[in-house]
Amino acid sequence: MMKYLLFKDTKKNMEMLRKDLPARYAVEADLKDCPAGAAYVTNDKKSMIYRLKIESISPYKDQEGLFKKRQTGLKSILELSLVEPVEPLPLSEFKVSGKKIKEFVDFTVADLEKTEFTEKKSYSEDVPKEISEIISIASKKGISIPVSVAEDLAKYRSEMGKDGFNKLLERVYQDLETKQIDPHEAVGIIAAQSIGEPGTQMTMRTFHFAGVREMNVTLGLPRLIEIVDARRIPSTPSMTIYMKPELEKSEEAVLNLVKELENTTIIDVADIVTDIEQMTLSIVPTARKMNERLVKHTDISEALAKVKGITVMHDEEGKEIVIKPQQESFKRLYQLQEQIKVLTIKGIPGIKRAITRKDPSTEAFIIYTQGSNLKEVLEVDQVDSTRTFTNDIIEIANVLGIEAARNAIFNESERTLSEQGLEVDQRHLMLVADMMTFGGNVRAVGRQGISGRKSSVLARAAFEITTKHLLRAGLLGEIDPLTGVAENIIVGQPITLGTGAVNLVYKFNRK
Amino acid sequence: MVEGSNPSGPAEGGAKMAKLNVLQHELVPAHHVVKKEEEDKVLKELGIAKDLLPRISRSDPAIKALEEIHGPLEGGTIIKISRKSPTMGYSVYYRVVTSEVFK
Repeated sequence: MMKYLLFKDTKKNMEMLRKDLPARYAVEADLKDCPAGAAYVTNDKKSMIYRLKIESISPYKDQEGLFKKRQTGLKSILELSLVEPVEPLPLSEFKVSGKKIKEFVDFTVADLEKTEFTEKKSYSEDVPKEISEIISIASKKGISIPVSVAEDLAKYRSEMGKDGFNKLLERVYQDLETKQIDPHEAVGIIAAQSIGEPGTQMTMRTFHFAGVREMNVTLGLPRLIEIVDARRIPSTPSMTIYMKPELEKSEEAVLNLVKELENTTIIDVADIVTDIEQMTLSIVPTARKMNERLVKHTDISEALAKVKGITVMHDEEGKEIVIKPQQESFKRLYQLQEQIKVLTIKGIPGIKRAITRKDPSTEAFIIYTQGSNLKEVLEVDQVDSTRTFTNDIIEIANVLGIEAARNAIFNESERTLSEQGLEVDQRHLMLVADMMTFGGNVRAVGRQGISGRKSSVLARAAFEITTKHLLRAGLLGEIDPLTGVAENIIVGQPITLGTGAVNLVYKFNRK
Repeated sequence: MVEGSNPSGPAEGGAKMAKLNVLQHELVPAHHVVKKEEEDKVLKELGIAKDLLPRISRSDPAIKALEEIHGPLEGGTIIKISRKSPTMGYSVYYRVVTSEVFK
């Protein structure tokens, strides 16, 4: 892996160097041990905006034709052959000894990690040869069979001989055809009934989490409603985190990760006392709470150092920390108190609690969390970024895409129903998931979503908020071609479903 | 209501998405770009016009990841999605890339 030198500099300096290449540039850091090669420059400590090519590094000596980064304290000379602006490259992509950089330190040597983007294999490559053979034999006969049926057929192929197998194929196909749904059947209505009827038997409120104590997750009917309503944030966001396979059996590694994930704020480990007379805030750390959360005094000091507009008056190990807002007003003091309360000391924002559980069959540890932050958790080194998921469907759509959201809707609704001992055919749930993700984003079922976007005015008006739809249609001059169900019932015609979908035309002049 | 005016979830500021290969995630089925030459064949097989296909936004993380491999994908590109299905084993689905961005 390539090593890069990272440092902070101004745009102006870089542009000056760029005009006059090759250049010799004097900097203030001692870079004896640093390898020559390439460097990245940042101007905001967040993303790298210039790339440099370093030919050699030598100790500083005052000489002619030298660019100086500053006037005093110079220690090294970089011989540069290339300076070029690049697309902003976030700091999070660099690693120091295998770990992501959390905070920028001037003149760091770091590795640049490049993620390789690979596609998953398409299914025709993924399916075993014998099964794809069966599918191709069938398709030659004009029969299309799904992979799962072909898998079942593969068991009998060797013992049946060619003729027998061909007969079997035909019989299977005949059976499949009778079980396929007819064209123009109202699948949506059937799905709605099939989910709705068992839904009436669901417990109205259940709070429990299979086998895990002290963890509340919404289940039952409220959860099902939440899923089809496509709520922005579910009432109990929760993540299921898997660790990388090489780590998942080590209890120590798991517990460390839990500590790293749990979001600890100042109010979790300390009391905040406001002194109105002195216009100061005292942060009084509680030793017991600090030990519990593995927070050191210096962690708090570091977190406070990032807050702008405050002066730290007094900071001593084991004692209270006194801070004062630079702008002396009660309003500011109050704002500061609120800001300090929720100041993150460590952990990932949004993850309130994390607990572990051992999977009895695989002996692997799985972490369950209260609160969810998929994007940042997936970027943690120890986390297996291919299996970890959340129950927040909108978050999945934002981080992993619409197809992942479709799978999440299916998985979540299936799990919610089966947890209550209800059996709903998976095809109904798939239909709901497909309809909700049809347009490229997750849409709710209902007035704001699927039903509110039907193309027919009359169908929309028949559903909810009748006047709004009719008025709007009148203003815009909408045309209703009467192709759906609801609008045909309104005007008193046969509906376009089943046998009603067939139109007969009689050609009378045919001989 | 304007199409796609749903406000998006939390986080996701303007910051550049850190590199994470979403295509390898278990929840994400295999996405493949359908070549321009093969588009007509696909549409004929389905018996459907291109604009009636289910959509996938250009800003979708899976499309962003595909762009890292194939270069920019124009609106109107057809994406073949091979899903693992509990009932069929595998099922093939198609989506068309739209330039619509959901925020």
